[in-house]
Amino acid sequence: MAAEAARKRKLRRRRLLRAGRHAILLGWTCVIIFPVFWMISTSFKDAGEWVTWPPHWLPHQPTLLNYAQIFAFGTLDPTLSRQATEQAFTIWKGLGDATLVCTTASLLALLLGTFLAYAISRFSVGGKYFRHTILMIRMIPPIVVAISILIYYAIIIPYATTALLGVRISMFDTYVGLVLIYTVTTLPFVIWMMLSFIDEVPYTLEHAARLMGAGRIEVIRRIVLPLVASGMVVTFLFVFILNWAEFLLALTLTHPQVTTLTVLLNKFQSASEGRLYGPQAAIGTVVTIPVVVLGLLIQKHLVKGFSFGTIRK
Amino acid sequence: MAGIALKNLVKSFGTYAAVNGINLDIRDGEFLIMVGPSGCGKTTTLNMISGLETPTSGEIIIGGRVVNDLEPGARGLGMVFQDLALFPHMTVFENIAFGLRVRKVPAAEIARRVAAAAETMHIKPLLTKLPKQCSGGESQRVALARTIVTDPAVFLLDEPLSSLDAKLRVDMRTELKRLHERLKATFIYVTHDQAEAMTMADRIVVMSKGTIEQLGTPLEIYNHPSTQFVAGFFGTPTMNFVEGVVEICAAGARFRGAGLEQALPASVGVKLCERNVVLGVRSEHVIIGGAAASAAGTARLLQPLGDATLVHFDTGEGKSLVAKVAPNTELAPGLPLRFHFAPEHCHLFEATSGRRQS
Repeated sequence: MAAEAARKRKLRRRRLLRAGRHAILLGWTCVIIFPVFWMISTSFKDAGEWVTWPPHWLPHQPTLLNYAQIFAFGTLDPTLSRQATEQAFTIWKGLGDATLVCTTASLLALLLGTFLAYAISRFSVGGKYFRHTILMIRMIPPIVVAISILIYYAIIIPYATTALLGVRISMFDTYVGLVLIYTVTTLPFVIWMMLSFIDEVPYTLEHAARLMGAGRIEVIRRIVLPLVASGMVVTFLFVFILNWAEFLLALTLTHPQVTTLTVLLNKFQSASEGRLYGPQAAIGTVVTIPVVVLGLLIQKHLVKGFSFGTIRK
Repeated sequence: MAGIALKNLVKSFGTYAAVNGINLDIRDGEFLIMVGPSGCGKTTTLNMISGLETPTSGEIIIGGRVVNDLEPGARGLGMVFQDLALFPHMTVFENIAFGLRVRKVPAAEIARRVAAAAETMHIKPLLTKLPKQCSGGESQRVALARTIVTDPAVFLLDEPLSSLDAKLRVDMRTELKRLHERLKATFIYVTHDQAEAMTMADRIVVMSKGTIEQLGTPLEIYNHPSTQFVAGFFGTPTMNFVEGVVEICAAGARFRGAGLEQALPASVGVKLCERNVVLGVRSEHVIIGGAAASAAGTARLLQPLGDATLVHFDTGEGKSLVAKVAPNTELAPGLPLRFHFAPEHCHLFEATSGRRQS
């Protein structure tokens, strides 16, 4: 009887523990989800509802005005632009710049990183610990580099080119400048991820191909690249998201010519009305969509990518 | 068609010499098997012939031409790898066609030659499948078809059967031997399995610690092992070894050691007198019972093989030996027995160097 009671007590305690754990996790989920919910909710609110007390959890008069404003073409309809809005905050410039910069930088990093990873994997370039050293580079906080890069881009390079070539070339606020810095900062990730995929391709496949008369380049093109293709997709998406969400470097190294979405988001400020929460929330929502979609895509490809060890040995 | 010569071939990794000065002439059309324990340098030697490994020093000559600086693909070799190395993202057809595609052979010719190779290896129904859909034996055939399609003069095979189960392995031995007879190409085959070497080879190279221990036909190596290592490596069960001394008396040479006294063949000369030696005798030459049985022992374990039975027994001084006897033996564990060695089948090796002495 005593044993039976003890068993029941134990069972009840376990059930309580499980309920407690779920409660904590649910609470934490709410904390995480709330800003996203608030952003989406705000994106459908008109100016009057942005800051109210008590807060309107859901817009009382839902409006698409914010979306109309950010997606507007050409000069804004004065009724849409609201008197308070002194500038036309449309998404197009930011979207275009971000897409251009992120795609170019991610592709460039992928291309360079794949070949670097191949060299490290196959020829032990840089010695035994090089792969770890590469990852360590990423541990430096971006702000540390941001200022020094700014000095290079805006002062040293223009000065040096003027003195040496007679032409002033500035990297500050240029697509090339931003693409370069994004390529460099994401390269360690690409190398690290591609290493894990390339290491999985057995040496003997390459040996077999070479004995059949294929040169090194042909071996890479016909054997290695097809086998790591899904890995490359995963890596590209991962790096693309990193670049898409990057803010600090873009903020430091550009203005006013190149404007990525994250920088654009920071500009929704008007003299008369303060922060323009509505359009800002609308852009936030729009910008998050590709990230979520890519994230879901990654999930699908990750399964394929990481079950890669199934190459028959 | 091409013979291969290796001249003072050395491969060192740092201070470790994987291959330590090998000289070898491989005849045109020969089935040569390199055999030895793991780390004896046989695969390294094969990789140097293929060009995947660069020799530290020495020369590799294929068909009269020094090929040291030639790319692997330019040496006119075909190779089958231990893990087969089929390209997992290509169909069987594309796997076989790969060597022709990189040589820019016209498509119609590729189709014809792949079909012919598939015909030879009996894998025509597999052509549209992926390697992962093929069984072990099928993959093996695909790997062979991929090699024969480019019509190489020399085939290099690096333990190609090690991934197969025991039965299939024995079947594939016969098939490989037939293939060799059909193609009349030079086959260089690496294995650590002495049975594979015995059954397939024209000649066997036994390697140990980066050097050649012995080169000869399978029967030469089995019947006249030149070192104790070779003697111990070939044959199942392992040859019996007994340490002792050679004595010469009026009746001829005798061996004494581990409580045994054994007559030796007449060929054992006076120069071995009083020398420390290791006597080696195969289990089938340990004779139990009979008039000549001079030593006593106790049976410990019986292993019936069907066509024969292995008797593990201890000598009076606790030395453990194995005899192969007829399957209907009346011996049982614990029973005493008397035995002797067939004198004409006793091998004598020097105790320190392991070199053959008789």
